[in-house]
Amino acid sequence: MKNIKRRKKLPSPALILIYIFLAVLVVIYLFPLLWMLNVSLKTNKEVFSSPFALPKVIQLGNYIIAWTTGKLGTATLNSVIVCGVTLIISMIMGAMAAFAIARMKWKFSKATMTYFLIGMMVPVHCVLIPLFVRFSKLHLIDSLPGLMIPYITFSLPITIYLLVGFFQSMPKELIEASCIDGCSIYRCFLQIALPMAKTGMFVAGLMTFVGNWNELLLAMVFISNPAKKTLPVTLTYFVGPYSTNYVQMFAAIIIAIAPTVLVYCLFSNQIVEGLTVGAVKG
Amino acid sequence: MDRLLRNRKAIAIFIAPAFILFTLILFIPIIQVVYYSFCDYNALSKPTFIGLKNYITLFSNDDTMKIALKNSIFFMIFSAITQQFMGIFLAVILTNVKKGRNFFKNIYYLPCVLSSAALGLLWAFLFNPKMGINQILAMIGIKGPMWLSASSGFIPLPMWVIAFVALWQYVGQNMMLYMAQIMGVSSELYEASYIDGASKIQALRYITLPLIKPMFVTSLSLNCIGSLKFFDLVYNMTQGGPNHRTEVLATDLYQQGFKYFKYGYSSAISIVLLILCLIVTILISKCIKIESYEI
Repeated sequence: MKNIKRRKKLPSPALILIYIFLAVLVVIYLFPLLWMLNVSLKTNKEVFSSPFALPKVIQLGNYIIAWTTGKLGTATLNSVIVCGVTLIISMIMGAMAAFAIARMKWKFSKATMTYFLIGMMVPVHCVLIPLFVRFSKLHLIDSLPGLMIPYITFSLPITIYLLVGFFQSMPKELIEASCIDGCSIYRCFLQIALPMAKTGMFVAGLMTFVGNWNELLLAMVFISNPAKKTLPVTLTYFVGPYSTNYVQMFAAIIIAIAPTVLVYCLFSNQIVEGLTVGAVKG
Repeated sequence: MDRLLRNRKAIAIFIAPAFILFTLILFIPIIQVVYYSFCDYNALSKPTFIGLKNYITLFSNDDTMKIALKNSIFFMIFSAITQQFMGIFLAVILTNVKKGRNFFKNIYYLPCVLSSAALGLLWAFLFNPKMGINQILAMIGIKGPMWLSASSGFIPLPMWVIAFVALWQYVGQNMMLYMAQIMGVSSELYEASYIDGASKIQALRYITLPLIKPMFVTSLSLNCIGSLKFFDLVYNMTQGGPNHRTEVLATDLYQQGFKYFKYGYSSAISIVLLILCLIVTILISKCIKIESYEI
């Protein structure tokens, strides 16, 4: 705290201290990830004998073995399918409900909103057992739709909450004008309200996609067939009996998080801002 | 125009899909879970009503549950204190730094978007008794502790390790929330205070901190609920071991329900978790008074 006070008179030393502190934090954040990359390119023997040295020969074989034994190709495909479908359906459903709540005039709009908001407070854990029991009867266990349905449901509250905010902040005149022009309510929703809520859709979509992409518990409970597993579940395959094989485990982790890191590096500003807007409003 | 916005059929079409799905997948199951928690119910039998028996066993005879409850509450309090403090601290520093602000911000936020299942495995390696951090310690001649398998103490070492990893992963979220709030404070307010002779510290104490109070409520609630339902890191770092010493509510619930198939018992644990979440949310919103300011 003293540093901040002194800063006004002597800007440079305090600022240097701050930058040193920030740089140390950067090391704490990046070092584990870089170490993991380093280990994933070594042999198991090297990990023990020379932990910090760069790999003598780059072992790309680790990645190939991890990819095949961990069935990461299937897992990635499953994750993409589940999260993609979830994203599309939850956005459509959420936008429709949010539009009706925010813009249309009816008695229970407030009550309906509260009803959806309860969902933000309820942890998924609480409905695991009834859902599991019901889904086993419906043969939805071990199937991708069985995973999509709860994901869509749990994406709805945040989507609706965010989009209601965006629809409400739109100028009233726009919708009125389109109505006077003889637009039907559906066209008004599709052609005027939706395009204007683009930012909101981006934010909500990002939040739910990141959340579902990383979700572990539901996926672990609902899926036991290796051909249907999503990425986070596949990684737990490397816990336990396989956990001594660090090089392959790390290769698998790198493959699993690489897409996220890549997308994050390209769009980090938009992503960070988007997620924050979402959380600030939530 | 008004007629168009009062179109009942359109409202029904817009609301129905989300409403029906929400009711079927979230609302009815919550009611079911309340009922199951009063039942003797497992994978092979039909639920039979046994009253409060599950809850009585839960609180009197189940040592794992006691540990899980203790760990979850420890975890929540630790996360709330450290993440809020570090979050505000970083936000204040970063908003005062001009060069490289985005760079630092994006790096600190990175773990928040990564899968905690993957990061859990990574940290499990780094805290391995023979590898990772202990290899660094060995280089300077210190024999590192058994980070993830020590079991002594009221809060065993692995719990602290997991709590620190959670701090590492999620502090960026809180930092970003506070940064957004601080950036929203008009700079005129600060300029006026500097003209009146306020120091940076005074500006922090009398302008920044009071104005980020609403965000404090949001951030703290998210933080507490998030840490109560915490599962991924614990599962991938210790799987509740050694000897159930690092069990939290979510892992205990998972084990009882899907390893031992005691559905009724597991439901009772989820009710405890749900009630804890509700209590915490209500406490936070009731206890922290937000004064509204004209900005």
